[in-house]
Amino acid sequence: MSRITAIASNTLLELVRQKVFYFMLLFAAIAIGVAFVASGMPFAEQFQVLKDAALGATSIFSFLLVTLATAMILPKEIEDRTLYTVLAKPVSRLEYLLGKLLGVYLLLFVAMLLMSVLFFVALFAREQLVIAATLKDYGPGPDGEAAVAAVKAAAFNWNLVPAILIIFTKSAVCAALTLMLSSFATSWIFTVMISVVIYIIGHVQPIAREAWLAQSGVNPSSVMKLFLGFTSLVFPDFQLFNIVDEIVVGNAVPGWMFGQVFALGLGYVFIYTLVGYIFFSNREL
Amino acid sequence: MSEPAISIQHVTKVFPIPFKRERVVAVDDLSLTVEPGQVYGLLGPNGSGKSTTMKIVLGLVTPTAGKTEIFGCDSTRVASREQVGFLPENPYFYKFLTGFETLQFFGKLCGLRAKKRDERARELLALVGLEGAADRRIGGYSKGMLQRIGLAQALVQEPRLLVLDEPTAGVDPAGSREIRDLILGFKARGITVLLCSHLLEQVQEICDRVGILHRGKLISEGRLTDLISIENQTELILENASPELLAEIAATTAASGARLVGQRKPQQNLERYFLDVTGGNQ
Ligand SMILES: Nc1ncnc2c1ncn2[C@@H]1O[C@H](COP(=O)(O)OP(=O)(O)OP(=O)(O)O)[C@@H](O)[C@H]1O
Ligand SMILES: [Mg+2]
Repeated sequence: MSRITAIASNTLLELVRQKVFYFMLLFAAIAIGVAFVASGMPFAEQFQVLKDAALGATSIFSFLLVTLATAMILPKEIEDRTLYTVLAKPVSRLEYLLGKLLGVYLLLFVAMLLMSVLFFVALFAREQLVIAATLKDYGPGPDGEAAVAAVKAAAFNWNLVPAILIIFTKSAVCAALTLMLSSFATSWIFTVMISVVIYIIGHVQPIAREAWLAQSGVNPSSVMKLFLGFTSLVFPDFQLFNIVDEIVVGNAVPGWMFGQVFALGLGYVFIYTLVGYIFFSNREL
Repeated sequence: MSEPAISIQHVTKVFPIPFKRERVVAVDDLSLTVEPGQVYGLLGPNGSGKSTTMKIVLGLVTPTAGKTEIFGCDSTRVASREQVGFLPENPYFYKFLTGFETLQFFGKLCGLRAKKRDERARELLALVGLEGAADRRIGGYSKGMLQRIGLAQALVQEPRLLVLDEPTAGVDPAGSREIRDLILGFKARGITVLLCSHLLEQVQEICDRVGILHRGKLISEGRLTDLISIENQTELILENASPELLAEIAATTAASGARLVGQRKPQQNLERYFLDVTGGNQ
């Protein structure tokens, strides 16, 4: 275990010293830009747009971050031959792989924490502005209080926290997927391209599947069921993670649904890591 | 104790060449044993399979056939690497770490505790002469400095066996002599060393035993002294000998039926001369 954490913290340190966190500036710029553009709208819409944009940006940024960071790891270590010196110590290839994955997760955690803090600060700042304006409009009294309560309800919602956790889970699945691909790929460009393709298919596939099933009648043949089962294993069903959209709209999402998504994510991470390990342990270095 | 430090049994390694029918036989049915406490030199021309052999011993490359063991433990097992330190050829480390952090990191991988790790890192940096560069990033190290940090890294868990792939490549003559002395020091402490080098002179100075590889095959193997001494000749080195004495010796030699093969002034070797001139001898 100490070996895994040593490799993980080393991986994080590498990424930090390569200054990957500078991309956060871009994220901050987007958050500020959206808040500025939205400021002319009615408050409910304003918060809506801000949440939509911030969660959307968080999702895309964290996907890009983990996919690029993960895809580079193995090719770089093999090219620099740092892998030899590490594996010449009593470190198993599984420990190495888990260490790398954990390192990427640490990076993801820090990045998402920063993005969430930025997001909540932006949301809170807008909320305060709107409240101040509302109080000025209504003056003191129960009407004003009711209006402020309405503003508060529209702004922050505790469901946003699991929404962010779901984005984390989704990115974690993408990282494990990318690591699996790079365990047999020969170049990082290949890995990134396939990851992006799978990411897109993962979003489109469930829609296609439903359309297809609807078209071909209620009773799909067993061959087709098998095929569908297989594709949903290879291409994670990212539509499931779209409950984030429901949350943004403000719809109540039951707890078991969150649980289901996390469990599914964990399952994908496990399978990808296992397959990645099988490829990696047989790989000629 | 009787167990060999390294045992290589009928190892063959074939590399397929992608998109072609050909294959490269890097190591061809190689068997050899390194006894504990020995310094073993693996020699051979470029591409003869020395590095490949070392990687197989460390479990970094899977042999096509045969097996290797380190102190009786199969190389494919992670535990076999607990007792061995490896210096790869042209070693590279994480460029973003400093020398000190690098040793810390490898110490962690070997399961050393925090306090021990610190001590050990300082000690090793001093041993390989890098105290001055301890807090500089490896990205800025010169080739010889990389070689030194590589050696320090190999020693981090105080292994009983060292596998060194061209330990003195790129190191200046004084440093190269320091490394030679370090290796002699390891030998005195009973550490087994397997090394390969193209500097035959150095190999001759430090190795007990050598094996020569050619196209993946072991073509000659044995104790160094046995391999290179010319059995029927004897060397005399005289100081302040007068020409008369030399003439007398030549005459006596001829009378006894022996033959005087040659007579020359011993040369100071270039290394010694270089060190005298650059003051690296102290
Ligand atoms: N990963 C690999 N893929 C294909 N061929 C390889 C690989 N590694 C080594 N070879 C081939 O195996 C042969 C032996 O290589 P090796 O590196 O062991 O030689 P060496 O004796 O260490 O040479 P040098 O003195 O140049 O270091 C060479 O022909 C080399 O091209
Ligand atoms: Mg070599």
